[in-house]
Amino acid sequence: MHIHRHVRPSRLFFYLSLLVSLIIWPLGSLAQTESARSLFSENKASILQIRIIDITSGSKSAIGSGFVIESDGLIATNYHVLQLAASEPGQYRIEYSAADDSTGDLQLVDVDVVNDLALLQTQDTMPSPLPLAMVEPDMGSPLFALGNPLDLGLTVVPGTYNGVNQTSYHPRVHFTGSLNAGMSGGPTLSETGEVVGINVSTAGNQVSFLVPVKALHNLRAEHRARGQGVSDFTQRIGEQLKADQADKFSRLFALEWPTMSLGSAQVIAEIVPFAKCWGGSNSASEKAQFRSADRTCRSEDNIYLSGGFNTGVMEYQFFWLEADKLNPMQFYAYYERLFGDFAPGNKGSEEDLGEYRCDSQFLALAENRNSDSRKSKNIFCVRAYKDFPDLYDVLFLHGTVDASRAAFISHFTLAGVSQNNAKRFVQRFLGVAKWPS
Amino acid sequence: MAVIIEVLGWGGKRKQFYRLDGPSIAIGRSYQNDVVLGDAHVSANHLRLDLVNDGWQVTDLQSLNGVEILKRGHLEATANPSTELIIGSGAEIKIGRTRLRIVNEHQPVDEAKRLHRLEAGLNGLNRWSVWLPIAILAISVDILSLYLSSFVEWQWKNIVMPVLLSQAILMLVAGVFGILGRFLREESHFLGHYSLLLIAGALFSVGEALFNVAGYNFNAPIFDVFVIPLFGLLLLGLLLSAMLALASNLLPRQRWSTSLGFVILLLVVSMASRLADWGEFSAYPDYFSGLEVPSLHFTDGASLDDYTGSLDDLFTEADRTMEDQKVRTKKNN
Repeated sequence: MHIHRHVRPSRLFFYLSLLVSLIIWPLGSLAQTESARSLFSENKASILQIRIIDITSGSKSAIGSGFVIESDGLIATNYHVLQLAASEPGQYRIEYSAADDSTGDLQLVDVDVVNDLALLQTQDTMPSPLPLAMVEPDMGSPLFALGNPLDLGLTVVPGTYNGVNQTSYHPRVHFTGSLNAGMSGGPTLSETGEVVGINVSTAGNQVSFLVPVKALHNLRAEHRARGQGVSDFTQRIGEQLKADQADKFSRLFALEWPTMSLGSAQVIAEIVPFAKCWGGSNSASEKAQFRSADRTCRSEDNIYLSGGFNTGVMEYQFFWLEADKLNPMQFYAYYERLFGDFAPGNKGSEEDLGEYRCDSQFLALAENRNSDSRKSKNIFCVRAYKDFPDLYDVLFLHGTVDASRAAFISHFTLAGVSQNNAKRFVQRFLGVAKWPS
Repeated sequence: MAVIIEVLGWGGKRKQFYRLDGPSIAIGRSYQNDVVLGDAHVSANHLRLDLVNDGWQVTDLQSLNGVEILKRGHLEATANPSTELIIGSGAEIKIGRTRLRIVNEHQPVDEAKRLHRLEAGLNGLNRWSVWLPIAILAISVDILSLYLSSFVEWQWKNIVMPVLLSQAILMLVAGVFGILGRFLREESHFLGHYSLLLIAGALFSVGEALFNVAGYNFNAPIFDVFVIPLFGLLLLGLLLSAMLALASNLLPRQRWSTSLGFVILLLVVSMASRLADWGEFSAYPDYFSGLEVPSLHFTDGASLDDYTGSLDDLFTEADRTMEDQKVRTKKNN
């Protein structure tokens, strides 16, 4: 009995808490559907479908979403939604389609390619603008993404706020919810109906990304200060890319670059928040005739410029090779094969880029005056951007050539970098990533 | 004055000849003739040649397929050129499918062709005792270079095919030249051709390796894209000339123009195929990736500051390339 007395209340507590949780749980989801329902009905008028119309054929070439942010008819969307119209204004026009099926023309007034944002203006009377949030939501708070997925009509997608992604240089909100094509440029709202981000991309399986609303605040402020639309978008985009790389590299150069070892070499580890690293080796392979280990670090900061052209990516890569069962001739035959196999990290075509020009030189680098120098073969390739002066894609490749049974390869590609930053990067890179003699 | 009737074969080469005296010569398929031919298209009594002054009068004996005069030969000015049926020394006629040349005994002949300086040496190659060591050496070099460039687990079975295949190709080429020689010079020199091919192949491998080392040391991709292909073509020209010397009776001038002509043809074809790609945009850098083992590296390296300083020129070049492309695409539009 003595024991019973003690057990009963706890069991009761268990049943009670179970009951409570059963009641609260459906209530919670009920609240969520309720707020989704009200958010949808309250805000659907301010959310538009953005259509890019091919003037000659009269049909739509691309669709996305947008939303009203000013009562005078200023509309926000993604740059990538209307990139076609921005680069070929003679071929495309932009129009909106509202929830009440009304349509009208839109003028592009400003862009922020780095954050994939654009501002459009309409002369038509628009419903009330959506308020932009001033503070960051709490981790785990429910969010609601709105847009026109796959041209199916206005849709609401519930999800969760997972903070600003710390692993990329350009901040993106990690949103747990399914964004689909066509929702790009639509708003993601908090429960109180404030815009916390702009739908931009998805990694699939409920992992989606939003442009933080802060970038939209900035772009709107710049637009207000100017007081009129941008006249030369190529120049505007060029300035944004130039400024972005200047800021990125000055932050990068100010940091201490962490190192780690790869074979006998010292390589660069993850420079947070610029790059994520992966690595591998063939040590598990019994048939391998040589030993190799590699490490690849890559920034995920792809700036979309057009369907065939992106920039901003930084990639660095290291290989440690040991001859093991191979003789020096065989080892160098493999080494040469590997050395000839490097490619740029970004995508581009003749419309946007000049061809690569390459240079090949031997370097003899020493730790200090008293130490022996290590000889290496160095390839440096550059291609110039056609529309944006002093921006280049750079590919650098360094391979030691003074050891007959081991080799250290280091390599980086920088997309959209200025001449000075590229040169500073080589100096810094070779100073940190090295195989001391 | 004796007259010589030559029966001509492929390329105007004499197959057989008749030396005859007398004022009149009968030609046909029947055995009564002075010149008896086996050609089924020649009539039994086809034609008659009668000596007149310093030429011969041709009389068609109502043959089925007639007489075609290909060359009238050398006629004295006294002869009446309008008389078509008079032919002189050196004349060529065709009856049926047979070509005949008619000359008198005073007809001059070509100068004797000097035997090629290397004839004796080239003949020397046509022996098993010479070919075998060359072949063993060449195949060993082949296997060695395959071995030294292999970085996967070495298996002998993997090299049997490439080695046999390359030897089969060489054998085929040597065979073609052998047949040519058999035909033109009555000797095939198969092993001689085979040895020449092996020697040329070995020379190319050695030259290629040396040029690669030079290109690597001077960081000069020109060796890769220009010098080595040119060296290969030059070697091919030499090889062809030597093989033609062995297989044909061409004069040196003809032999060199034939082999160099072939090389130039190859050059033009390869340049044309490159020209087709010229101006095509490539999104990938074309850099010089050649590497050699440290013991073949003789040049020094630059310092880091000199290096980064030198890169400015490369940026300028990239700008110029881009500007050139802009101009070109504008033109195309």
